[in-house]
Amino acid sequence: MISGIGKILTSNSLNNITSNTNSQVMLETTLKSIGRPGFILIDNEINEDTKRYAATKEFLYQATCLLIYATLVVPVFKRGAFKLAQKIFDKAQVGNFSSLKQYNHYLKLCDSSLNNRKMTLNKEIKGVYKVDQSGNKVNKLVKDDYDEIAVNELLKNEPNTFNDLKGTIELGNIVGSVFGLAIFAPQVSHAFIHPALRFLGLEKDKQASVQENSAKLDKNA
Amino acid sequence: MKATIVEKLRQTAHKLGINNKPTYVVMAIAAVKGICRPTFTMMDKKEDPKTKKYTAIREGLTELIAIPVYWGLGELSAKVAKKVLPPELHKKGAKNAMFIGVCVAALLVIPGLCSAAIKPIMGMFYHDKDSKSKTSASVLDIKSESPKLEIKDNSYNNLPIIKRPSIQNFTSRTEYGMKVGGV
Repeated sequence: MISGIGKILTSNSLNNITSNTNSQVMLETTLKSIGRPGFILIDNEINEDTKRYAATKEFLYQATCLLIYATLVVPVFKRGAFKLAQKIFDKAQVGNFSSLKQYNHYLKLCDSSLNNRKMTLNKEIKGVYKVDQSGNKVNKLVKDDYDEIAVNELLKNEPNTFNDLKGTIELGNIVGSVFGLAIFAPQVSHAFIHPALRFLGLEKDKQASVQENSAKLDKNA
Repeated sequence: MKATIVEKLRQTAHKLGINNKPTYVVMAIAAVKGICRPTFTMMDKKEDPKTKKYTAIREGLTELIAIPVYWGLGELSAKVAKKVLPPELHKKGAKNAMFIGVCVAALLVIPGLCSAAIKPIMGMFYHDKDSKSKTSASVLDIKSESPKLEIKDNSYNNLPIIKRPSIQNFTSRTEYGMKVGGV
């Protein structure tokens, strides 16, 4: 039992999620979009219509958050933080990576064992070619994408993960998450949720409800 | 000045790069949400002031509950993982356990606590108003059916009963208004 829990706790897939703020927030928002409406629906003290309305509203809010997070935070704040770090910090502290994607790949290689790393570095990239010293067209290797410093680091037992760069990206991610989920999402959801609820028939149009109320009035009185 | 800011940013980034706890981001989001969501609600000019105040307190309370739960459950899970796992796996396992703790908090503990605790707390704020509204509602709960009019029995001796409408059937206001002809 305990060894099973230990295996889960130290599994690589879980570690990949926890080492990345992006996947953490995405998963947490998804869980919120299930948990909060779920608890509203099982509340016996509220009537059925109110429950359905509140649960749908909460679900739509969390779905908006997820959408905003995926479209705004990752491309803008994460890439922005990567570029900022490359600009203001010394190359020795942040390495010489051409893109965020390349740095993420580097971090994945750092997590694997030395033997796996060596094997991966010498793998050919399908469909990508280079011209060698004798002028022949040959397949490009994974290690050809990295500069000499990065390749040397990857061949060490404990490679440098360039924590300044990693931390700046995480900081950008946290700032973006806070801005996206706590400031931007409530504004967007305010404009989006009510029309969506009206479309689903859970909220009445103001004009329609005024008309309905006036129809209920006893005009003979 | 610029160099100091850059250096401070580098130091913060370095610490985050070494150890970015899963609780940091969720606590930061909850803290800013706890301030911004009620503020935005109170700034809404279209909403009724009482409704605004109620919604803002409710939103603030939700995040106020969320912050210590995220922190507490995250740290607790990490401690349990450290006890269960061998020392060489402490670092990796504790961080992953902390993340599981945060997920459990988001999925079950916070929504459960909010639905259990917010109602009584809100009841403390709105206790008097609620009881007043309940009594006034019960006082006003009057059945507004019009009086049922009986058809007068006009049977006489053994003659067959012919139910004829009396003069009472032709008026809905039997007890008041101008009466003509002394009926």
